[in-house]
Amino acid sequence: MRRSVGFFSALARSKSGLAGAVVLGVLVAMIALAPVLGLPDPTRGALMARLAAPSWIGVHPLGTDQLGRDMLSRILFGGRATVLIAVAAVGLGGVVGVALGIWAGFTGGMVDRVLMRLVEIQLAFPLMLLALLVVAAMGPSLQNLVLVLAATSWVRYARIIRGQVLVLKQRDFVEAAHAIGAGTWRIMRHHILPNVATPALVVATLELARVILLDAGLSFLGLGMPPPAPSWGRMLADGRVYIASAWWVVTFPGLAILLTVLGVNLLGDWLRDHFDPRIGTPS
Amino acid sequence: MRHVLLATMRAVAVLLAAAGAARAQSGVTIALSANVNTLDPHMSATIGTDLSVLSHIYPALLLRGPDLKLQPALATAWMAESDTVWRIDLVAGARFADGEAIDADTVKWNLERVRDPKLNARIRPWFDPIASVEVISPTSLRIVTSAPYPALPDQLTMFLLLPPQWTQSHHPAAETMSGGRYAVAENIPGDRITLKANPGWWGDKPAFDQVVFRTLPEAASRIAAVKTGEVDLITGIPPSEIAGINASGRATAGAVPSGRSVFIKFNTEVKPLDNRLFRQALNYAVDKQGIADALFAGTATPSTCQLLTPDYFGYNPALQPYPYDPAKAAELLQQSGVPKGTVLQMDVPVGVYLQGQEVTQAVADQLGELGLQVKITEMDFGMYMNKYLKSRTLAQTSLLSHAWPTLDADGELSLLAGTSPYAYYHNPEYDALLAQGRSVVDPAQRRAFYAKATQVFCDDAGVLFLYTQPATFGVSRRVTWHARGDDWVRAWDIDLKK
Repeated sequence: MRRSVGFFSALARSKSGLAGAVVLGVLVAMIALAPVLGLPDPTRGALMARLAAPSWIGVHPLGTDQLGRDMLSRILFGGRATVLIAVAAVGLGGVVGVALGIWAGFTGGMVDRVLMRLVEIQLAFPLMLLALLVVAAMGPSLQNLVLVLAATSWVRYARIIRGQVLVLKQRDFVEAAHAIGAGTWRIMRHHILPNVATPALVVATLELARVILLDAGLSFLGLGMPPPAPSWGRMLADGRVYIASAWWVVTFPGLAILLTVLGVNLLGDWLRDHFDPRIGTPS
Repeated sequence: MRHVLLATMRAVAVLLAAAGAARAQSGVTIALSANVNTLDPHMSATIGTDLSVLSHIYPALLLRGPDLKLQPALATAWMAESDTVWRIDLVAGARFADGEAIDADTVKWNLERVRDPKLNARIRPWFDPIASVEVISPTSLRIVTSAPYPALPDQLTMFLLLPPQWTQSHHPAAETMSGGRYAVAENIPGDRITLKANPGWWGDKPAFDQVVFRTLPEAASRIAAVKTGEVDLITGIPPSEIAGINASGRATAGAVPSGRSVFIKFNTEVKPLDNRLFRQALNYAVDKQGIADALFAGTATPSTCQLLTPDYFGYNPALQPYPYDPAKAAELLQQSGVPKGTVLQMDVPVGVYLQGQEVTQAVADQLGELGLQVKITEMDFGMYMNKYLKSRTLAQTSLLSHAWPTLDADGELSLLAGTSPYAYYHNPEYDALLAQGRSVVDPAQRRAFYAKATQVFCDDAGVLFLYTQPATFGVSRRVTWHARGDDWVRAWDIDLKK
């Protein structure tokens, strides 16, 4: 309990951390509440009302897109998909990455060498290209997007967690656990894992920002969720033809991506500083 | 500091003015929406980019004017001596820039190159009906076809001549030797091709000394470029941008009807598209007029229940579009026995058709109203064509368009004849009418057969008829363009404003 009070008051003292938390909080709240706000269907539009300009008090506060669909509704429902995909991917990547990181760091030897070479190979490979190839081959769907993004994400966890484990396994409490006869599995589960939870959380927030951008990139290239499902990258791609005559079609999804990524990054940076200033920015 | 700045600004202003003045007198810049993929005129059938650029460099026997009528070019006269024999007379004394003569032998050699199975020329299918070529004199030749081929002169408008001697020792895909109005001065693939007037050109001196083709794949950048006067002619812009461009006062834009009919292709080889009542239901369920008005700002016209436009020979003026009638659609759906909630796959090639993705979503939305579940899959054109022609796994429905450069019903309608790889549609009655249309030469008789064929196809709801795509364009303030509905973009269709 004391820890959590300290956490929030520390957050309140950090301008950037607080700003990130507030921006993100507002966005998440709006996205979560989207279905109960009584917004028009994001996938249905009236053709005759296409490219209507924003009217803050009208039916379409942020205007309509090229098929007459409500922009606000599309941004919020698109945000739901983006957040769902990003959180699932970062979570899945995190579970796999942390598990492999602990295994590699704790076991060492051949396992370590093979896993770390694998990590290096994947880090050397352009992730966008990898994601493009996989999505193009398997076809775009919610499941495939999560899998692909998770596949690009696990390496960062694995590398940082492994480094932490190398330090941790020399510590006295691990030696002591060994001495009283605890098995490898038990030590990894009860002594190492809780101690790498914090760095894993920090990596997760920073990964979240990266994965949101990657998801937007993929859907911009037409490899995100198939239409008519709304997604931010896709809205940018479809609206850019109209940039001269209907600025709102690209501006609002662009802003949504910008604010989300900015919020996550600010909060992530602060988390990192707060928990452990020694952890550098993950590569 | 201030002096330096002022001096620099003056210098820049003078330079800009000089550049502007120089260009104003002698050059014109045309935007292309895709790269030029090959410089070999026989290895491309893409009029909007490859062939348009190459038609400035290589001579053609005949050209199609902006009024879509045939004009003499290298050929001064062409006439049918019988149903299968064409006689063509050529300009005397024409030469390529390296001195090689352009005569009847050149034409014969080029026709043989195109028909050579080893070369596998992209335009070969349209020249395969030629049985033999006979040189009468350096300025006249005879072309014999294996069957009546009334559209041959039209087809010759996309046939450009390479220099035979030069081709033996060079790579026409990457190099050029001018025999036309212009010669390549600089080619930066993916960016621009600069052409300079060919001093040895055998026709009238072209109006511009220099023509630059710039590749600008994004519609938004093309619009910006024509507004700033950086380019003089752009095509393929969303019709909703036309009003904005005209209102800006910095360029003018417009649209003319094209010969390209856009429709939802049915794979009638699979269920439930083999069901005629179901296909009719789909035709009643879509508001073609609404799509044309809203998405195309009224510049598109709903197809009149046929894939021909009024520009085509064989157009059937008696046909009317399926009206938008959701109640009738629901009734037909019920009669067809296809249950509500049926999933319908719809493939969309991206980046080929003007606002194609928007149209697909609008159609999918309206079919959703009818009670069907449309699953849209977007893919690039290459992948789509693979499914369409190679693996032959065309989705139940897909967005497609057809146009035929000769503007003749036979070419356009034969794409859906049972034996065509493009068809996915089998109707013996329709096939028989097309065969009858091909077997006669008399225009009135041909017209009668095509009128019946289009009627049969309309009643059978062979596709979901949508609209005729508009050809949109924008021109800078300094020029005017003879707008045309086919894809040719050529410097000699552009005039400087007085």
